[in-house]
Amino acid sequence: MTTSRRTTIAAVIAVASSIALIATGCSSAPSASSNEKVTLTLATFNNFGYNDALLAQYQTLHPNVTIVQNIAKTSDDAQTNLFTKLAAGSGLGDIEAVDGDWMPKVKQYPDKFVDLASAGNKGRYSDWKTAGGTAGSKLIGLGTDIGPEAICYRADLFKAAGLPTAPADVAKLLTGDWNNYYSVGKTFQAAKTGAAWFDSAGATFQGLANQYQNFFEKDDGTVVAATNPDVKAAFQSVLAASATQSAHLAEWSTDWAGGMAKGAYATMLCPAWMLGVIQGDSPAVKDWNIANVFPNGGGNWGGSYLLVPSQGKHTDAAKAFADWLTAPEQQIQAFTVAGTFPSQVAAYKDPTLTGATNAFFNNAPIGTLYIDRAQAVKITPFKGVNYGSVMSAVQNGLTRVEQGQQNVADSWTQVLSDIKALG
Amino acid sequence: MRPSASGRRFSTASLSRPLSRHHVFFSTLAGYAFAKLRFRGNKGLFIFVIATTAVPTQLGVVPLFIVMSDLGWTGTLGAVIVPSLVTAFGVFWMTQYLSQALPDELVEAGRVDGATMFQTFWYIGFPAARPAAAMLALFTFIATWTNFFWPFIVLNPSDPTLPVALARLQANYFVDYSLVLTGVLLATLPLLVLFIFAGRQLVAGIMQGAVKG
Amino acid sequence: MTTSTLPSKPRSPRRIAFSQTLGRWDIKFSPYLYISPFFLLFAIVGLFPLLYTGYVSLHEWDPIGGQGKFVGFDNFAWVFGQRQFWLALRNTMTIFLLSAVPQIIVAILIAAVLDTNLRAKTFWRMGVLLPYIVMPVAVTLIFSQMFSQDYGFINNLLAHFGMAKIAWHTDVLPSQIAIATMVNFRWTGYNALILLAGMQAIPRDLYESASLDGAGPARRFFSITIPQLRPTLIFVIITATIGGLQIFDEPRLFDTGGLPGGASQQWLTLTVYLYNVGWFQSGKFGHAAAIAWILFLVIVAIGIVNVLITRRIASNEGGHKR
Repeated sequence: MTTSRRTTIAAVIAVASSIALIATGCSSAPSASSNEKVTLTLATFNNFGYNDALLAQYQTLHPNVTIVQNIAKTSDDAQTNLFTKLAAGSGLGDIEAVDGDWMPKVKQYPDKFVDLASAGNKGRYSDWKTAGGTAGSKLIGLGTDIGPEAICYRADLFKAAGLPTAPADVAKLLTGDWNNYYSVGKTFQAAKTGAAWFDSAGATFQGLANQYQNFFEKDDGTVVAATNPDVKAAFQSVLAASATQSAHLAEWSTDWAGGMAKGAYATMLCPAWMLGVIQGDSPAVKDWNIANVFPNGGGNWGGSYLLVPSQGKHTDAAKAFADWLTAPEQQIQAFTVAGTFPSQVAAYKDPTLTGATNAFFNNAPIGTLYIDRAQAVKITPFKGVNYGSVMSAVQNGLTRVEQGQQNVADSWTQVLSDIKALG
Repeated sequence: MRPSASGRRFSTASLSRPLSRHHVFFSTLAGYAFAKLRFRGNKGLFIFVIATTAVPTQLGVVPLFIVMSDLGWTGTLGAVIVPSLVTAFGVFWMTQYLSQALPDELVEAGRVDGATMFQTFWYIGFPAARPAAAMLALFTFIATWTNFFWPFIVLNPSDPTLPVALARLQANYFVDYSLVLTGVLLATLPLLVLFIFAGRQLVAGIMQGAVKG
Repeated sequence: MTTSTLPSKPRSPRRIAFSQTLGRWDIKFSPYLYISPFFLLFAIVGLFPLLYTGYVSLHEWDPIGGQGKFVGFDNFAWVFGQRQFWLALRNTMTIFLLSAVPQIIVAILIAAVLDTNLRAKTFWRMGVLLPYIVMPVAVTLIFSQMFSQDYGFINNLLAHFGMAKIAWHTDVLPSQIAIATMVNFRWTGYNALILLAGMQAIPRDLYESASLDGAGPARRFFSITIPQLRPTLIFVIITATIGGLQIFDEPRLFDTGGLPGGASQQWLTLTVYLYNVGWFQSGKFGHAAAIAWILFLVIVAIGIVNVLITRRIASNEGGHKR
């Protein structure tokens, strides 16, 4: 376990050698036999839907296994934690959950993780989800949930604007490309309901970005965001619509959440996990509904993976547990707990899922609806190590215009220089 | 040093108490030396102590974690206790207080009476430092109680400190305000109770110090 | 810095009855023994991270892939070429001034009030420290609601009285004031208590004789309290400076969308910038380490300036007293 970097550290530590003497050194990993008592640490963040009941099922199946879940408050905290412990070479959970957004950065280090490919999980996922978990020839991430996108809308505001309110009619109305979405928005704005058509340019831009194969980066990871005409066109078209149709409420801000409760906007892009957010932030609103449609076809936003770090002591047991957690039955259970939509194709035939409805969204058939939305996803966007940083720079640019700090051209110029600064 | 494996939900209380006690003792000892004893390099070393607090911690997490894991302390309370056993903050505070509150004459008198250095410290320096020590203990206790990030990184998930456990209430895409605020209230109550008692002692301590006007 | 409040006498030759050598060693080595716990511990938890960061800052460095090639001061040059760095430096300074200055002034005033013969002392002291006890999580939640731009408490109140809403999350100064308010809420009472402890250690007869000389409360405050308080003041100012320049949680959590710091970096501070670069830009650990060292040097420089100013203020005021 002694790498050259550790030796340098040891030399520096020698200053305090008297205390370092207590060091126990690297404890040797006991080989895990199937009946040996093991404790597995499962590190997740936000809410994966892995409640005590679900974990207890596994412990009943495998009495020698004790599971401890470590939940980080935010995806950012989880990311900092993961990279700290990867850097230190120890301390990670036996299973680590990784957000799809920073998965590309983790995939730079395939040798730090165990290959999870096995006969049991072959072909369980749609291709794009498998691709997201694959580094080189190694499958290092087993998909947990995905975020197929639909459109959530406020039926009361639609009614006030004289638009159809039934989900099927709304879906028909919004079938088409983004220009169609904006032109319906124009009709909506003309009715002067006092509400905006969508929440923010930033959220809408996310929807567009996830519909391109190589939006910010080429397949070799080269950043092309500054020169790709699609990026600039998306930036400009979203902001053109935003000028008259957006509530200008930056996503995840307290105002955005407040706007949701107060009916500040009539539609928002709605990946499956967004349902929980909407219900949590606007619990008193009765008129949210979901339309089985998405501008310009399908799109996926978000979703996570489970990884098994090779620094763990019980990697075999961890691998078996990760496999179990991501199997269709367990994904469906997690879905019923936290609304995390299954990534397993086999789960889409399960009656628990196909029969699922959501009372808060006026009994929308969320099971079949999101299965449709998942199947509409045709493109696997390439996301490399710089995807997150570039996205932040562009999102900041969109926000600057929405907040009236810069015009579109100046903001774009600054986006270009910010991307360049990423080096 | 190792936390008991079962039966304890939160480590915060077991962590905060001994921590503040040791912290106060070592800090007072060093503060006394800096404020009242003459030795080569006194000033330079003291400035060095202060300078150490200027090291930004955001990046120090990685090397600190490496040290702790090399020592085999990760996942144990030791990893949280040891870094705060003696802090520059505590040393600085005790130095400043003692240099103001403890007249040199008292120290000199102790020595003339033939007391050893440690006796002088124990019977003259330490009592004089009591009010400041009480405050330091209180502040250390509170800081340990409310600390989030380092315990989150370094402790076992089965043995969280209160803020880490509290954060889990927030672990969702949206914030359930009533749940979080209830948790916060419950977590703050013990501190309040402690402070009511410590507050009394603060007043008493300040009035009974070895030095009076 | 370790000057005492009373003039020290020249040391008189002493006779030690027993074991002179032992006594000499006691005197010579005890001080080092007393401060050694700090330095031993510091070597592990302070010095090592600092040196490690310094070493990293001179290399291309991937946090996990590890050490790349030695690049000398290239990382520092890169940092100085960044627009965001200069904005972060500016913000760090302004937020620091917006928080530290009012915080210390108010803390001194509160301490002075608490130092008078109040009824229910414990109650007041407890009340002053209350904001410090409240979990930062709750403080952030409450303040982010208060400072919401469209639906926040403050702007609703302003609108109620027909005043214009303030762009707390858009404009530079309002956003920084909002952040400084959170900082001040948490630390003012804390500093007041520390100053109070210092004030209580001031010998009461100094005040009595000054009163006999006909000095009013204001005069007593400026010519006795402030100069006598010098060591404690230095402590409070230094820790407020260091804490203020390292401000991290408040700006990081001020808005949860996108990378922390604001779309135009309105409230990006150096520590937040360092966090963004180090943790969210791939493989830029060397850059982040360089920022950490620059921040360290900035803090030391400002700390020294502050000490010099404080010393001057505190000694000028009391110059004629002794």
